[in-house]
Amino acid sequence: MTLPENELKHALRRREPPEGFAERVLARVEQEGTRKTQKARESLLDFFTRPILRWATVGAMCAVLVAGGFYYRHGQELRAQRERAQGEAAKQQLMLALRIAGSKLQIAKAKVIETSVENKNREVKE
Amino acid sequence: MALAERVPTRDDVQNFAAVDFANLVRRHQAMVFSIAMHFLGDPSSAEELAQDVFLQLHANLKSLKSESHLTFWLRKVTAHRCIDWKRRRRLPQVSLDDAPEPSVPGQAGDPFLARRLRQYVASLPEKARLVVILRYQEDLGPEDIAEALAMPVATVKSHLQRSLAMLREKVTRAMGEITR
Repeated sequence: MTLPENELKHALRRREPPEGFAERVLARVEQEGTRKTQKARESLLDFFTRPILRWATVGAMCAVLVAGGFYYRHGQELRAQRERAQGEAAKQQLMLALRIAGSKLQIAKAKVIETSVENKNREVKE
Repeated sequence: MALAERVPTRDDVQNFAAVDFANLVRRHQAMVFSIAMHFLGDPSSAEELAQDVFLQLHANLKSLKSESHLTFWLRKVTAHRCIDWKRRRRLPQVSLDDAPEPSVPGQAGDPFLARRLRQYVASLPEKARLVVILRYQEDLGPEDIAEALAMPVATVKSHLQRSLAMLREKVTRAMGEITR
């Protein structure tokens, strides 16, 4: 016997699902969304209620605090070093400025003396 | 000045499915449910599986780019879920006799033969059954079936040939019993 394709197509034609199928799918989608949110919240709470994880969290927090303390202290030291270096540089600059000003004063003083000696000599001659 | 027709943006195309999920479910529910129904032969399992497929669709809406991509995706996911379902739960075979007749009026045909054929299809090996369902329910060609089931075209063709021969033999035997 031959098996006409039409008979198979007829036998396997599409069927509509039972009434209200789409509504049930949408309800499940909504339920799934709520469940996921709740699960995420619960897993977060659950995380902190497990003793090992609780202690691990405390340990991690302590480690972070200690590391943070070291980091802060190291930073402060670096800052102090930098400030010291800056102070030193400023001091050097001031010394240099004073030396320059001193030498200028010396020159001015020599000029003044020279001028006054010349004036005296002129007066004596006259 | 006449208003130019709005050109769909990339976002429009990507989110085409997100616009009205309920409408989308209604448009494709018969296809998904029928594949599951013809494969599993159990209306309540078929509905559960179809619901799972649409839940998965909801989670993957953004990855679907067009209507044809969506249809291809639905067929592929339904087919894979059917096989997974069968492997996970050993269902009582073929309760298609208890299943309600299609609510969609079909073409004229022998209802007795149609019922028998559904039973015989449901008794085929898993992969062959899916091939026959996609070929005769969805009217897909061997290339499309091969793509949906991730198998070579030659395998699809041989599944079809062997399944048809098997179905023909069973129908012949059944007819012989009736006329005897």
